[in-house]
Amino acid sequence: MSAQPLEVAPVLSTPDTHIFEDPTPPVDIASLARLSNEQLLVVYEVERTVREIRASKWRRIALQFPDEMLMDAPRVFEALARGLSHARNDRVSSPSPKSSHTNGDGADGVSKSLESVSLSEDGPQEKLFILADTSYGACCVDEIAAEHVDADVVVHYGRSCLSPTARLPVIYVFTTRPLALDLVFHAFKETYQSQDEKVILMADIPYSNHITPLLERLRHDGYSNLFAAQIIHDPSSPLPNRSVPADVKEKAETLRDYQLFHISDPPQSLLLTLSSRVGAIHIYPTDSKSAVSPKALLASSAATLRRRYALLTRLSTVSIFGILINTLSVKNYIHILNRVKEQIAAAGKKSYTFVVGKVNAAKVANFSEVGGWVVIGCWESSLIEGKDFWKPIITPFELSLALKGDAERVWTGEWTGDFQAVLTEKENAPAISDDHAAEENGGEERLQDSDIGSEEESAPPEFDLRTGRYVSHSRPMQAPPSRSTKKASDPGRQPASSSLMRRANGDLAQVGGVVSPAAEFLRNKRTWQGLGSDFEIAYDEPSSTDTPGALMELGRSGIARGYAVGGDRSKT
Amino acid sequence: MVNFTVEEIRGLMDQAANIRNMSVIAHVDHGKSTLTDSLVQRAGIISSAKAGEQRFTDTRPDEQERGVTIKSTAISLYASLTDPEDMKDIPLKVEKNDFLINLIDSPGHVDFSSEVTAALRVTDGALVVVDTVEGVCVQTETVLRQALGERIKPVVIINKVDRALLELQVSKEDLYQNFSRVIESVNVVIATYYDKVLGDVQVYPDKGTIAFGSGLHGWAFTVRQFASRYAKKFGVDKNKMMSRLWGDNFFNPKTKKWTKTAEGGGERAFNQFVLDPIFRIFGAVMNFKKDEIPKLLEKLEIKLTNDEKDLEGKQLLKAIMRKFLPAADALLEMMILHLPSPVTAQKYRMETLYEGPHDDENAIGIRDCDPKGPLMLYVSKMVPTSDKGRFYAFGRVFSGTVRSGLKVRIQGPNYTPGKKEDLFVKAVQRTILMMGRYVEPIEDVPAGNILGLVGIDQFLLKSGTLTTSETAHNLKVMKFSVSPVVQRSVEVKNANDLPKLVEGLKRLSKSDPCVLTFISDSGEHVVAGAGELHLEICLKDLEEDHAGVPLRFSDPVVQYRETVGAKSSITALSKSPNKHNRLYMIAEPLAEEVCKEIEQGKIGPRDDFKVRARILADEYGWDVTDARKIWCFGPDTNGANLLVDQTKAVQYLNEIKDSVVSGFQWATKEGPVAEEPMRAIRFNVMDVTLHADAIHRGGGQIIPTSRRVLYAAALLAEPGLLEPVFLVEIQVPEQAMGGIYGVLTRRRGHVFEEAQRPGTPLFNIKAYLPVNESFGFNADLRSNTSGQAFPQSVFDHWQLLPGGSPLDPSTMPGKVVHDMRKRKGIKPEVPGVENYYDKL
Repeated sequence: MSAQPLEVAPVLSTPDTHIFEDPTPPVDIASLARLSNEQLLVVYEVERTVREIRASKWRRIALQFPDEMLMDAPRVFEALARGLSHARNDRVSSPSPKSSHTNGDGADGVSKSLESVSLSEDGPQEKLFILADTSYGACCVDEIAAEHVDADVVVHYGRSCLSPTARLPVIYVFTTRPLALDLVFHAFKETYQSQDEKVILMADIPYSNHITPLLERLRHDGYSNLFAAQIIHDPSSPLPNRSVPADVKEKAETLRDYQLFHISDPPQSLLLTLSSRVGAIHIYPTDSKSAVSPKALLASSAATLRRRYALLTRLSTVSIFGILINTLSVKNYIHILNRVKEQIAAAGKKSYTFVVGKVNAAKVANFSEVGGWVVIGCWESSLIEGKDFWKPIITPFELSLALKGDAERVWTGEWTGDFQAVLTEKENAPAISDDHAAEENGGEERLQDSDIGSEEESAPPEFDLRTGRYVSHSRPMQAPPSRSTKKASDPGRQPASSSLMRRANGDLAQVGGVVSPAAEFLRNKRTWQGLGSDFEIAYDEPSSTDTPGALMELGRSGIARGYAVGGDRSKT
Repeated sequence: MVNFTVEEIRGLMDQAANIRNMSVIAHVDHGKSTLTDSLVQRAGIISSAKAGEQRFTDTRPDEQERGVTIKSTAISLYASLTDPEDMKDIPLKVEKNDFLINLIDSPGHVDFSSEVTAALRVTDGALVVVDTVEGVCVQTETVLRQALGERIKPVVIINKVDRALLELQVSKEDLYQNFSRVIESVNVVIATYYDKVLGDVQVYPDKGTIAFGSGLHGWAFTVRQFASRYAKKFGVDKNKMMSRLWGDNFFNPKTKKWTKTAEGGGERAFNQFVLDPIFRIFGAVMNFKKDEIPKLLEKLEIKLTNDEKDLEGKQLLKAIMRKFLPAADALLEMMILHLPSPVTAQKYRMETLYEGPHDDENAIGIRDCDPKGPLMLYVSKMVPTSDKGRFYAFGRVFSGTVRSGLKVRIQGPNYTPGKKEDLFVKAVQRTILMMGRYVEPIEDVPAGNILGLVGIDQFLLKSGTLTTSETAHNLKVMKFSVSPVVQRSVEVKNANDLPKLVEGLKRLSKSDPCVLTFISDSGEHVVAGAGELHLEICLKDLEEDHAGVPLRFSDPVVQYRETVGAKSSITALSKSPNKHNRLYMIAEPLAEEVCKEIEQGKIGPRDDFKVRARILADEYGWDVTDARKIWCFGPDTNGANLLVDQTKAVQYLNEIKDSVVSGFQWATKEGPVAEEPMRAIRFNVMDVTLHADAIHRGGGQIIPTSRRVLYAAALLAEPGLLEPVFLVEIQVPEQAMGGIYGVLTRRRGHVFEEAQRPGTPLFNIKAYLPVNESFGFNADLRSNTSGQAFPQSVFDHWQLLPGGSPLDPSTMPGKVVHDMRKRKGIKPEVPGVENYYDKL
């Protein structure tokens, strides 16, 4: 998602908040602002929520709103609370199995009954919590925040990535948005002239309710080969989180025969995923203000995909990877983290794991040692694009491509944002990856065979496709076997921190006997290595030779809130 | 058939004074490969019947097909001087009369001149071939300049004399005048690039440094050869005779007197003694005066075999001339006598070759050409082997001895002593001798020789230094006279072939010293070459050989550079994301001369900063303090943009220097206008305010901010686009000149020099032509001059794209930017300065 262009020159500074936006399409807050009470109940599906909570007997309920819906949160809270207590009262008065049925009369009935109920009537057995902003993205369920309040269930409002959660059950409320069906209908007819066209109807989650009515209308009009994708919780489905036609279930390739009609702009990662799987994608825009009937536009992601390819090839020779944890709630994120670590280690590269909350350029640029980043997040938020990032950020799927040897990397344009696929790929085809590893090892052995009697020979450099140059030491952790065995067999000779050792020319920096690319970076790439290194910086001013440095003084101490200078506690 | 053995050659290798390393260089189609055949034939590698036709050193099928050399090819030859008289003339005394000639035939087409550079690096002498009729052409001048820059001593052969005789039917005096004109123009070039250490290397026929001949017919002569013939015959001193056989020396056969003018019936000695016999043979043979021929032959002591006697016309002429004046004799004599041996040459070449201090053991080893010194070997190019995907590393031993199994340190072009980058340790698998299309294994090779190495190719992309000394610096990286300015992107037709394409691209970039392959930001595989022909050959190789899969090529495009036209109108300011740090910078144009020096590697990041500051201050009028405070070069740490620290007393500045430099490298690689690299911009850091806590001024705060402030500074300084420009030299007859002007004007080119070649109706036109407009230029030119114009284009300089600001989409540069951004898949509008500039 690229940052929106600014209309006016920013005051003070370019807003870093614009550098990274969550992948949710911007929602026009103004249009949502004035929801009547009735609308509120419908949009937030209060009645259904109450029913589900009651049915599962959850006691502590966390409500998670995306930022733009927070304004409705108190009213939703109240409505839910009233609904719950009302339901309980109903049950107490008439403990019949039909209780839910009576509640199901419709919003009017509920709202009427709600008005008569006051919160303070009896001790609320269900406790509701509104969660503040999410750490990573509004599309994911913030399980950690929910666990802080010891919640039994999370009610997630707004559009969702539907990623499976690890700890808590979730009630999804998609907050349906209105859609002028007539216009969509006409746009569809305009796009697909032939009525036998195989078309899948799909909508962004807030619009998914409109799919069925639209399908009926179109069927009525004579379109025979339509399929309406229903929401399911399966990001790994050929259509992520959507059901697929029966023939596709058997053979995923047949999806290519279908065209896709998508209502509202899909998130970028979804578009990338879909574009390689279906024939053509037409997008019906929902954000246009004009009264004229909008046209469905043909979506093209070829340019984006190519840029992703450039990014990931750029990372194939990087020696240090940073793993960014961009979610704490998606199921299996620990597994994928381990998997990614394994992959990186197997390629002889170093990885460090970071948890930085919402990713922005400043945060990741602090680690200049890191050559590239891998984001572990839900499938929608893993795709982070931005010109402002100092080093590229890729997804686990892209990482596995980047780490593949040049001899095997195939770029068909297929793309998946979901790491589940990477995991299952591993499970399904462990033999293949072993083969691959063996092959690589075989290659290594062959290499070493050919130069007998030369143990300490260096590994050959790698060709950096991105720049067309050779990059040396792109696999620093792949230490020559001879050296590492020497160390292992003779731990007594491990350099103690106090002993002085001559650094052999061309040796990699080590920390505790393990090669440390970061330490190497500090030693070779940084000119500033801490206090005192000023004197070694080659670039000197004529005057600096006159002043060989000042005397040491007692500096400041304490924490940033209030430093103490020298012995004087009062100064800051 | 081969009349020497590897053992013989190996024996000679130890006698450095008996080695001549030389390259054959010339303008395209002046007959290098053909001439080389004569030498190869002498060594017995090809039969004499084929010599002159086979072009033994054109090893590739397409070279044979097109009749143009594409790759330089090396061959080792064995020669001996039989005449003890000749031995005396060798400047450096030698024990034996056997010589080892390592010869490299190089391509003449300007698109492949990187091959010439690679050949020149490993040789000490150059045989410059000049066409009698065409004279000194643009490429002759370029290669001569390159040779002299590498301190390579030239000797000249004026080739295709047979054409002058047979086609143009010139008189003796006209031919003489023609020769002297050509020699004069060669010497003008040589004098222009005079090198004090190398001394005067101008060529004179009466010194024996010029030969005349015909490669096609296999004959050649030097004045010295005739002088020694006549010296024996008349009993005069050979040297005296030599000086008389050239220039204004006239001999009157009646009075037997030498005069300085032609008055009184004297005839020019050169015409009389040198040209006359040749003219007579030509006259007799070509006019079928059967009875005259035997007499002539007898007089000249030429014996023909019976078969040869039956020949007629040109064939007979060829046979006679080859017996009379064998080309190999003249050439070998000239090489052995006048080209330096490695011992001589390395004395003065050391300082231009070695990057390190000139008094360390490696430098001394090179200087003395010491086979017992530390190994110093320069790999100048990679030669494909029959084993697909593997290469021989082709190079020259400058010091020490390399042998199979020797463990060497391989230092790539980015190696700096003491650092581990671009440094590898590896044993040499095998050493081999390069023999044109064959190779011969050889056990070891001592200093002064040219060789091929097996097992090194994986460590060096194109070139590098091999050494056994831990302290050794690099041998200087070669600088090419051509740049890869024309690009085409490549994609596979079938996605599953991608690995093959990638592998092919790797091989391609190894096999050619100049070609560049990379992936663009928009994800395309790009191949960049020096010109259309070069690119065409590369892509053909890629598709048919290296990758071997069907490919799709885009139309050629050029890469632009972003620059600035003025000083930033105001000081640019950007704040870090946390608002606690501010960077102030100004962009200003960097003088073109400085940029060229940087691009040619004369000013660079590795120089001692004091020396560099001195040069900048003395020659380019920089302020010394500024010149000492150059933080870095960019992009890629060596580009032609500078970051200069002009701050005063900024606290913690050293701490953020790395971050600012990182941001600078990033920004100069992708400029603000069209994400093209920047060029010729000097950025001055004016002031910096930093937060007092280290954590708030870390890389995350500074790197993106410095990029933004650099963008702001550039956008405030009248940004412009630079486009690459070819220097085109066209040879054309007068009547076809009109067509040239038409074609050039249509393509935004302009003529800046127009000169008639003396004595011919041919004109030499020099013009500048934007590379972007050059696609299809050759074909266009040919059709407009009915095939009479022959252009040669070589990248010359960068020029501001005229027509207004690139920020204004209605101007020409604006349109170019718009298209480029669209092609790259980025927002077509250029982001304004307000995106980068922060108000205080």
